[in-house]
Amino acid sequence: MIYLDNAATSWPKPRQVPRAVARAMTRGGGNPGRSGHSKSIEAGRAVLACRELLAELFNVRDPSRIVFTKNATEGLNVVLVGLLRAGGHVVTTSMEHNSVLRPLRALSSAGVALDVVAADAEGRVDPQEIRRAIGAGTRLVAVTHGSNVTGAVNDIAAIGAVCRERGVRLLVDAAQTVGCIPIDLERLPVDYLAFSGHKGLLGPQGTGGLYIRDEGDLPPLLRGGTGSLSDREEQPEFLPDRFESGTLNVPGIVGLGEGARYVLQRGVEMIMEHDRHLRDVLLEIVSGDPRIRVIGTSAGAPCTGLISVVIRDVSPSAAGEALERRFGILTRIGLHCAPSAHRSIGTFPDGTVRLSWSTFTTARQIAKAGRALLSIAAER
Amino acid sequence: MFSRRDRGRGGDGLEGVISFFGSHHALRAESVMKRAGFPVRLIPGPREISPNCGVALRFDYGLREEAISLLEASSVQFEAVHHYPER
Repeated sequence: MIYLDNAATSWPKPRQVPRAVARAMTRGGGNPGRSGHSKSIEAGRAVLACRELLAELFNVRDPSRIVFTKNATEGLNVVLVGLLRAGGHVVTTSMEHNSVLRPLRALSSAGVALDVVAADAEGRVDPQEIRRAIGAGTRLVAVTHGSNVTGAVNDIAAIGAVCRERGVRLLVDAAQTVGCIPIDLERLPVDYLAFSGHKGLLGPQGTGGLYIRDEGDLPPLLRGGTGSLSDREEQPEFLPDRFESGTLNVPGIVGLGEGARYVLQRGVEMIMEHDRHLRDVLLEIVSGDPRIRVIGTSAGAPCTGLISVVIRDVSPSAAGEALERRFGILTRIGLHCAPSAHRSIGTFPDGTVRLSWSTFTTARQIAKAGRALLSIAAER
Repeated sequence: MFSRRDRGRGGDGLEGVISFFGSHHALRAESVMKRAGFPVRLIPGPREISPNCGVALRFDYGLREEAISLLEASSVQFEAVHHYPER
């Protein structure tokens, strides 16, 4: 079996990840921040260790600026729902995942003005188009860092510079790029960055986080127990407690920490190079075949470890089924929760076959997948 | 790095206590101060000092100025520094 659906969730994980999760439940087991006893403190230290590793990964000086969520979707919702009010204006792009577009459509029904900037045919957004969409009432720009459909990576530095210049805050969806593309938050003009833990960070499902440059007037999505200010019925205002109500997913967070440690030791630059090499291997095999259309392949443009293809006269669902049944290759077919992205690249409503790899995928596996695509295309 | 066991039994003569708003900050202070070589020890937060957080950090009160500078430079929020000898 060859697993090529790492953009949905990475597999396998480094061995240390499941081990750490089990250890957190057998030897650990306390509730962080709730008591002064040793088990609670141990759990708190383990959560802090993960936060510090993430801070190192993103080059953030104060780890409390990273709050844990159950996934990237939750982090995105905190900012979108928390910041946008009727009468305000938000700018986003056609490459967004439904984790951004669905909350924004709901907010739009409730009176928030929404502008969706169109991406080019490869899935990249022109920062100047974003500049043109920003108006006097614009409260937020929400942009994906890497497309989950084409693998195209947006120029966040340029988009952030436009936002700074216009005095508008920037929310980045880094679900596809965290752990795969270097993200330096000391340098990048990003106000909020939501990320998942179970993709490029190689952690367990149900983990993720949100970086918050300035919590200012951003309210939490949930309120509840934090272990702090327990004499008061109002939610604490400081980080991370403002955004972390209820008992945390400690085993998941501990596993996420081990995934982040693995990524740091391997090096994000090295992982990016590996991903790019595998992309070249795959393109080398399939790009000569006119029956296979590859989406988003500009040479040298930054991209994540995935490729979307359409095979002439073969529906993505038939191709995906053949890949698994005949070649043992697991891919993701269809619209990838991003209908408007597929409209941008001209593949709506059938979608594409998406192959996505990880640091554990080998060139040999990718070559086998490339030959499988050729063979499915040749049978038509 | 300072190699004291994580939670000593007391009697280490640490007469200062730093109180915090939340446990993240207490644990972060422990991490930052240990790395810088300060002798520190987490204790259940004494109620007469602060109702805010379950844990507080014992440290050498004589080093309070250095400790405060380090915490501020490391963006660690704390509530107050107390002279609170063990009794």
